[in-house]
Amino acid sequence: MRVLIQLRTTPQARAAFAARESEPALPSHLTAAGLLLDPSFAPVTLPAPGLAPGQDGRMLAMAGPVSFSAEHGSTIVRGEIPDDDAQQEVLTAATADPGVLGVFSDPEIAHCLTCGGTPPVGKAADVAKLLHVEQLTTAGLTGAGVNLAIVDTGINVAHLKKKGQNPKVDAAHSWTPKGVKTTPGKHPVDHGSMCSFDAGIAAPQATYLDHAVLLSQTDGPTVMAGLLSDALQSFASLRKTLDAQPAAKRALVVSCSWGMFNPAWDFPVGHPGNYSNNPRHPFNVIVASLEAAGADILFAAGNCGRECPDGRCAFPSLPICGANSHGRVISVAGVDTKNKRVGYSSQGPGRLVASKPDLSSYTHFLGSGAFGAAEPDSGTSAACPVLAGVVAAIRTKYPTSRLSPLALRTMLFKTAKDAAGVGFDFDYGWGIVDTAAVLKALKTVP
Amino acid sequence: MAMLLTVELPGAADLEAAAQRLAVPVAKLDAQFGVVPVDPDNHLYSVMVEDDAAPGASARSGVSGPYSNPRIEPFR
Repeated sequence: MRVLIQLRTTPQARAAFAARESEPALPSHLTAAGLLLDPSFAPVTLPAPGLAPGQDGRMLAMAGPVSFSAEHGSTIVRGEIPDDDAQQEVLTAATADPGVLGVFSDPEIAHCLTCGGTPPVGKAADVAKLLHVEQLTTAGLTGAGVNLAIVDTGINVAHLKKKGQNPKVDAAHSWTPKGVKTTPGKHPVDHGSMCSFDAGIAAPQATYLDHAVLLSQTDGPTVMAGLLSDALQSFASLRKTLDAQPAAKRALVVSCSWGMFNPAWDFPVGHPGNYSNNPRHPFNVIVASLEAAGADILFAAGNCGRECPDGRCAFPSLPICGANSHGRVISVAGVDTKNKRVGYSSQGPGRLVASKPDLSSYTHFLGSGAFGAAEPDSGTSAACPVLAGVVAAIRTKYPTSRLSPLALRTMLFKTAKDAAGVGFDFDYGWGIVDTAAVLKALKTVP
Repeated sequence: MAMLLTVELPGAADLEAAAQRLAVPVAKLDAQFGVVPVDPDNHLYSVMVEDDAAPGASARSGVSGPYSNPRIEPFR
């Protein structure tokens, strides 16, 4: 273990330092016990805290001037102590030595947030373990018979099969924008294939509805000519699918890993036609009506986190906007497989509803290989379908007749692992999805 | 270019009914987009109207908009 050792500065040592002739030496009995100096570390002179008369030595209570004089200061060197049973022996000997003022840990410090461009953290198998997929499967919660809509760039079934999955696509209830030549389940390998792979981690037997909205050939050069109208048509199609299901078995999970990056693409806030802040915008209305009809809708929170935002982020603040901040959807933040928030995951408050994001789920792991074998499934784009898969798995035995979308959201929020230790917060929402706790809570559902 | 409006249609929800409500010729509506049920339980639908007809149409009772139709992009 690496440590910092604080040595009392003797007159001899002070002279040697001043002349840069030699490095401080440790008493031989300490080196014999296993305390080794790191010669690459240049010793640092530490000033003594200045204490006002009658004041104790607590640093935070320090009121007097700091003393840099040689007779008061001490010297910090770096060293190694054994990691085994001998460690305690070395520490005892060191603290008993009058020349040693203290031995302190020297932990590794680094920029610890996962950002875009950083390597993957874990694999899909790790995500499956964190989500307790085995327990879900044992409980019969596999997504069998559940419709899971991936509203994205389309799904490529052949690619998913190569990656070990065996997805079913319901082409009849899928939706493709006008002018697109490829068909459901056979779209080019891209973002939508990543999303479907990630949903399949927890819900391998779900039936995908392939809504390839983002393949729309509308280029969206102005606020009036974008793609959201295509999403509106897709959601209307989903409503038809949902309404056609028997009420007793109704279940539809909708995963949306996209949003609006730039307020210049929208009418200004306050304009009656605005989307970002306006619950009366038709897309925000259709989201509400689809949820009211029984759909579980999940939106990625976005990739505009303060620490490492996507280069496209143009909102000066509050990037979770429009349907991504809707009160009737689950807004999904991203954590890596070490349960740490990824630096690009957008923080709340949201624009339609302040208490956003709602939940955190896993991202930035090696999974679909949709962007290359070594490239992670990343962004809140991956976190959203991972959680959508969990929701679809739950719906296998708990259709909306047993558990309404609101009741299910509440259960997920209440059982989440509180990552920041403060209840709801604007980084993680209610916390990280905890499937084991959800499974326990489901036992109370009539 | 077409503009996104919402229109209340308590009865039939087709292009003819929408055009009548908006007081525009059917040809001014985007037939490919159609009449999209936004909140059918409350008889609310969306249509796309050619921009030269939109200002007059949006002033009608039971009609609102135009609404923005922003670009959306994946969060990767």
